[in-house]
Amino acid sequence: MADVKLPSRFSKRSRTAQIAIIVVGTLLLGTVLLSAGAAGLAWTNTEEFCIGCHTMKDTVYAEYKDTIHDKNRSGVRAVCTDCHVPREPLPMLKAKIMATSDVYHQILGTIDTPEKFEAKRHEMATVVWKRMKKNDSLECRNCHVQAAMDPEVQSERAQAQHAKAKAENMTCIDCHYGIAHTEPEGPGPQELKL
Amino acid sequence: MKKTSIYLATAMVSMALAGLAHADDKAAQALVKKGGCNTCHSVDKKKVGPSYKEVSAKYKGNAEAAAKLTTHLTTGPKVMVDGKEEAHDVLKGSAADVKTVVDWILSR
Repeated sequence: MADVKLPSRFSKRSRTAQIAIIVVGTLLLGTVLLSAGAAGLAWTNTEEFCIGCHTMKDTVYAEYKDTIHDKNRSGVRAVCTDCHVPREPLPMLKAKIMATSDVYHQILGTIDTPEKFEAKRHEMATVVWKRMKKNDSLECRNCHVQAAMDPEVQSERAQAQHAKAKAENMTCIDCHYGIAHTEPEGPGPQELKL
Repeated sequence: MKKTSIYLATAMVSMALAGLAHADDKAAQALVKKGGCNTCHSVDKKKVGPSYKEVSAKYKGNAEAAAKLTTHLTTGPKVMVDGKEEAHDVLKGSAADVKTVVDWILSR
C-alpha cells in the first residue's frame, strides 16, 4: 500500500499540538506536584502530625497542655510549629530535614520510652536553645514583636528585666525557657557557648 | 516462700510510691509553669530569682520549711530583685496545689 502523504500544513499543526500537549501537561503535572508538596508540608505543620507518635504526645505535648501558650484568656495559641519551625520557606525546609533526626531516633529506639526521652532531654533542649540563640529567638519574635510591646501594660519587673536584657544583648530564650516544657537540669541557654 | 512474698510486697509498694511521686512531680511542674514561676526561677540555674534547688538547700533541716515557703508563695512578701525591693508574685491555686508546689520545691 502506498504511503499517504499528509499535507505539510497538517504535519505542522500536529507538531504544534504535540508541543502544546507537552507544555500544558508539564504545567498541570507541576501544579499537581507543587500543590501536593505544599499540602504535605502544611500537614506536617499541624498539631495532629506532631503528636502522631506517642513519644511526643506523652512527653513534650503533655507538658505543654494548659501552659500559657496552649490555653489563655484570648484563646490565641502557639502550637508546636509556631515555636519549633521557622516560617520562611528555606529555614522551614531545613527545620523539616533536621526534624527527621527525631523520627530516625524514634525508630532506632533512642527516645522511644519516657525514660530514654528524659535521658536525652537536656541534649535535645540544647539543640533548640542554641538554634534560638543564633536566630535571636526568631520563633518567639514571630508573634512577640518587641517594637509593639507596650511597657505601660507590663509589670515594673518585666520592664526592668527587658531593659536589662536589651542592654546585655540577651535574647528571649536566655530567660524564657522551661515555660512550655519541663526544664532539664544542666547548663541553660545563658551558659551555652555558640 | 514467706520471704519472697515480703520482697514482692515491698517492691510493689515502692513502685506504687514512686508512681505517686512521679505524678506529683508532673502536677507540680505544671503548676509552676502555669503560675509563671519559671519566668524568674529555674530548677538549677540562676535566673532573676534563686533556683528551686537553692531554695530547697536554704530550708534544709528547717522544721518550719513548708510553712515558711507556703507563706512566701501565698502572701506576696517583699523580695529584692536586682537591688530593688518588690512584691513576690502570689501563687494562685487551691491549698492542695500550693502544697504540691511547696513539697516539690523542697524536694529538689
